[in-house]
Amino acid sequence: MTAAAVRRRRNLLAGYGLLVPITVLLGTLFLVPLGIMVVYSFLEPGVYGGVSWSFYPYNYGRILGWPIGGGEEFDPVYLSIFFHSVLLALLTVALSLLICYPAAFWVSRMTGLRKNLILFLVTLPFFANLLIRIYAWLLILRPTGFFNVALQTAGLIVEPLQVIFTGTAVLIGLVYVLVPFMFLPLYASVERLDPILIQASQDLGATPLQTFRRVVLPLTLPGIVAGSIIVFIPALGNFIVPALLGGAKVMMSGNLIEQQFLKARNWPFGAAIAMLVMASVLLLVVVYVKKVARRDEQTGGVGA
Amino acid sequence: MSGGSESTEDVLTVSGAVRQFQTPEGTWLRALDGIDLAIRNNEFLTLLGPSGCGKTTLLRVIAGLDDLDSGTLTLEGRPLDDVPAHRRPFNTVFQSYALFPHLSVEDNVGYGLDVAGIRPSERRRRVADGLSMVGLGDLGRRMPQQLSGGQQQRVALVRALVNNPKLLLLDEPLSALDRKLRGQMQIELKALQHKVGITFIFVTHDQEEALTMSDRIAVMNKGRIQQLATPFETYHHPANRFVAGFVGNSNLLGGRVVAADRGDLKIETEGGLTLIAGGAGFAVGDAVDVLLRPEFLSLAPVVVGDVAPTLEAQVEQAVFVGSEIHIHARTDRGLALMVLDRTAAGRGDGTADVGRVVRFHYDPSHVHVMRTGGTP
Ligand SMILES: Nc1ncnc2c1ncn2[C@@H]1O[C@H](COP(=O)(O)OP(=O)(O)OP(=O)(O)O)[C@@H](O)[C@H]1O
Ligand SMILES: [Mg+2]
Repeated sequence: MTAAAVRRRRNLLAGYGLLVPITVLLGTLFLVPLGIMVVYSFLEPGVYGGVSWSFYPYNYGRILGWPIGGGEEFDPVYLSIFFHSVLLALLTVALSLLICYPAAFWVSRMTGLRKNLILFLVTLPFFANLLIRIYAWLLILRPTGFFNVALQTAGLIVEPLQVIFTGTAVLIGLVYVLVPFMFLPLYASVERLDPILIQASQDLGATPLQTFRRVVLPLTLPGIVAGSIIVFIPALGNFIVPALLGGAKVMMSGNLIEQQFLKARNWPFGAAIAMLVMASVLLLVVVYVKKVARRDEQTGGVGA
Repeated sequence: MSGGSESTEDVLTVSGAVRQFQTPEGTWLRALDGIDLAIRNNEFLTLLGPSGCGKTTLLRVIAGLDDLDSGTLTLEGRPLDDVPAHRRPFNTVFQSYALFPHLSVEDNVGYGLDVAGIRPSERRRRVADGLSMVGLGDLGRRMPQQLSGGQQQRVALVRALVNNPKLLLLDEPLSALDRKLRGQMQIELKALQHKVGITFIFVTHDQEEALTMSDRIAVMNKGRIQQLATPFETYHHPANRFVAGFVGNSNLLGGRVVAADRGDLKIETEGGLTLIAGGAGFAVGDAVDVLLRPEFLSLAPVVVGDVAPTLEAQVEQAVFVGSEIHIHARTDRGLALMVLDRTAAGRGDGTADVGRVVRFHYDPSHVHVMRTGGTP
């Protein structure tokens, strides 16, 4: 081996060495609990909580309709809660994107102090307790809350609107909680977009819409993807927002899991739901990233 | 497309163009301070001037990427002010190239054709022709980041050219290249302009580049055009002290006309020199600036008619560079003179040795006299 090759090899090993702490940390804190969950989801629930150690695939049957046995019955309500949750999560992603994308451009055009102030304000909510912030929304959205009073005073409505304890309230809450997670990666990619490229596009005869489709969108796509994923996943798994703002009517998969673990004390069933949610999220994210990557290639290709 | 420059009618006229920017201190800075300019069909026009004089601003205004505060632009007689950048038949080669990082070389070059909806077969042909014209035929599938600076610059050039613009705007496109490549590209660009017959507006702050490439040069300073003329005129008959100093090496002296007789002038300059010069339209007492190019001062007399005027100065530095001697000299009253002598270079007799007081000869017709503060 030449000296250069030895050096390269040593650098590579050093690189792996640096990865050891995080690997150990993630391994113990993430993989081990995950393994426990996988195992639990295939165990029979005990009568008074706990588990009995026998192979029992029927937790999945209760959700999916197959296999069925061991006294479990298929109930489509779990699938319906799951699809409803996915829908809410997708809406959350779409709404935050709609809010953050123009805002990111607006902020990136600012200078110095104002820009830093805005970025600080975006992270400000993290300083306050999540429960309190969501509880504030409860006060805002209830029939006698600020929202309805304001609309009534303005003469836009007569009777208070029933927003609280609906899907709309949950959506508002989710967007509110997760908007910073959309904004920051989006802002980072918009900030990196060189305005001269937009001008070059105009100069070459592209209309504003063409410039957006062919230059702005593909170059900010990494931010859109990153933001969408890190909003979608916590939105789907969230249980605090639906618990507080959705009341008894709106249940998301997060609540369902929480219920099984804490109230019904049926850990194996809770674990089975959690596994299915996780698998679907993984699948959805992989499909999304693949699709976006292909789109990216296409915009990079002829006649996009 | 047509080669040559058979037509001299104006393509684009800029009149009374003013563009100002607010400085952080709150005052206004006139980047363009009343520009009048008529660009002729098929010419290679250079905007030359020091950093910050408004060259880029003028180019951006023409391209439609920046708006005028007052003044107008007309393209072949039609006002252009309300036409947005994407509908102006001009293309720009940006100083930083501004290649799209997510598109291959081919797609960068084809960008203008794609958005214009050109048929795929024709697009392919024009992209391939363009790339091979600048010797990048094999690199079409590369991404811009995988090219050298010089190659990127060519891509930027072709990307603009394939659209057959009425005007090609080039903002210091060669400034990032090393000296050798730069010289090569200067020649290639000029040849290319001749071949495609497109009007070029070329920005540079390099006077040599401007002189070698241009049909006409617009020398700019502080947002104004100081002179618009051919390279020859700009060099030999600069309109004012600024142009004389910016283009080429020069001995520039302020002075006053002390005698004027039918175009023969006698001028007393700062530092107490008396110069004989030719120049019409001056009267005794006029304040003038006098330009004496270093190459028009020589050690041996250049006898013209009956006058062979001289200046006396002491040699402070003499550098022999083969075909000529570069001399820095100083008069007895402390005035520095630059001399580029060809008459004594071959003699080697010590005429120009450091410390010697010598007589430098000049031809009065080579002394260029300008009214102080004069503009065209
Ligand atoms: N967007 C802007 N905001 C404020 N001032 C500006 C702006 N653009 C240009 N200027 C100012 O206008 C003047 C002219 O700038 P311009 O870029 O046209 O100079 P230039 O001749 O191209 O210089 P260089 O040779 O350095 O590129 C400069 O003083 C510059 O600081
Ligand atoms: Mg510039």
